[in-house]
Amino acid sequence: MRIESLIFAVTAVFLAVVTPIYWFMSNDPTGTTALTLSFGLGAMIAFYFMLLNRRIGARPEDREDGEVEELAGEYGFFSPHSWWPLMGGASAMVVFVGLVYAWFILIIGLALVAITVIGWVFEYYRGEHAH
Amino acid sequence: MVLAPATRETRGGVKFSGRERHNGAVASTTAVDPAHPPSPVRPSLTSVGTIVFLASELMFFAGLFAMYFTLRSNAPDVWESQTQLLDVPYALGITIVLVSSSITCQIGVLAAERGQAGRTGKLLQVGQWGMREWFVLTFIMGAIFIGGQAFEYAELVLHQGLTMSSDPYGSIFYLATGFHGLHVTLGLMAFLLVIGRTFMTRRFTHQQATSAIVVSYYWHFVDVVWIALFLSIYVIQ
Repeated sequence: MRIESLIFAVTAVFLAVVTPIYWFMSNDPTGTTALTLSFGLGAMIAFYFMLLNRRIGARPEDREDGEVEELAGEYGFFSPHSWWPLMGGASAMVVFVGLVYAWFILIIGLALVAITVIGWVFEYYRGEHAH
Repeated sequence: MVLAPATRETRGGVKFSGRERHNGAVASTTAVDPAHPPSPVRPSLTSVGTIVFLASELMFFAGLFAMYFTLRSNAPDVWESQTQLLDVPYALGITIVLVSSSITCQIGVLAAERGQAGRTGKLLQVGQWGMREWFVLTFIMGAIFIGGQAFEYAELVLHQGLTMSSDPYGSIFYLATGFHGLHVTLGLMAFLLVIGRTFMTRRFTHQQATSAIVVSYYWHFVDVVWIALFLSIYVIQ
């Protein structure tokens, strides 16, 4: 993860240099705030990748002698198919329609969002998947 | 011919000597090599995704901070009068509750990392608490923060006349603290879902521990954003 960390660190270092210069040349609070938090964007990801690099060391793709086959194995759990993302999109649509047109539609939408979130989060924890 | 698993020497049916370095790398997945274990440890996709998502959230809050400081520099007289309405010691109180909840959350994550979902002792034996008890405590502290914010809003709206549409200060005050409060509320719901999962399974799985960890990332992030908001709105004013 060293390379990934460096890529984001470059952004952070650049912004750390540029932001004070921008402030002293323009006295513009809007841009300075945006630049400061953009520094945070780069620094935060760079810092996390640096921590990961320290924890897991060099992955096969980080080594000169790495082989593709070394990356075989479990990557994580990926749902083979699920209806909940569709429900998520539909209930989000109802929420936004409610925001535009009427508060009672919004309430229906929020109830649908609640059902979707619970159904999605617990999908692999109930029924035949209970463990 | 005896069928043997491929080793450093017999890979591809050709006999190599171990001294030939260029072939060592090819065989390193089958031969036991302590420097490069056969199943590499990977960064968790969920954790990396959460951090990238939180970085984008930072840009969302950047918009709010930029609005705050822009309005502040354009209407210093409004700021002069309206910041007098703030009850700083009260806000400091709920801030301390929220910041402490990050600590209890982290202790809960440590319990999750060692795979302990629930407590092993009695309810009052804090040392025996598992992830569930620490997250419930975190939830209560987060809820106190949100409740405290609701009382603060009620005081400002009903007695001080500061509303969303009363002046620029009111607009950005409620937008910034309100969007932050919304994030805290979503975090509280995430805690409930993580706690809920522990009741639905017989054993505490790796997936549940990952959920607990990424919810804690989110919680710490929201906490840090509040510290920045508190410094901007209540300290620098």
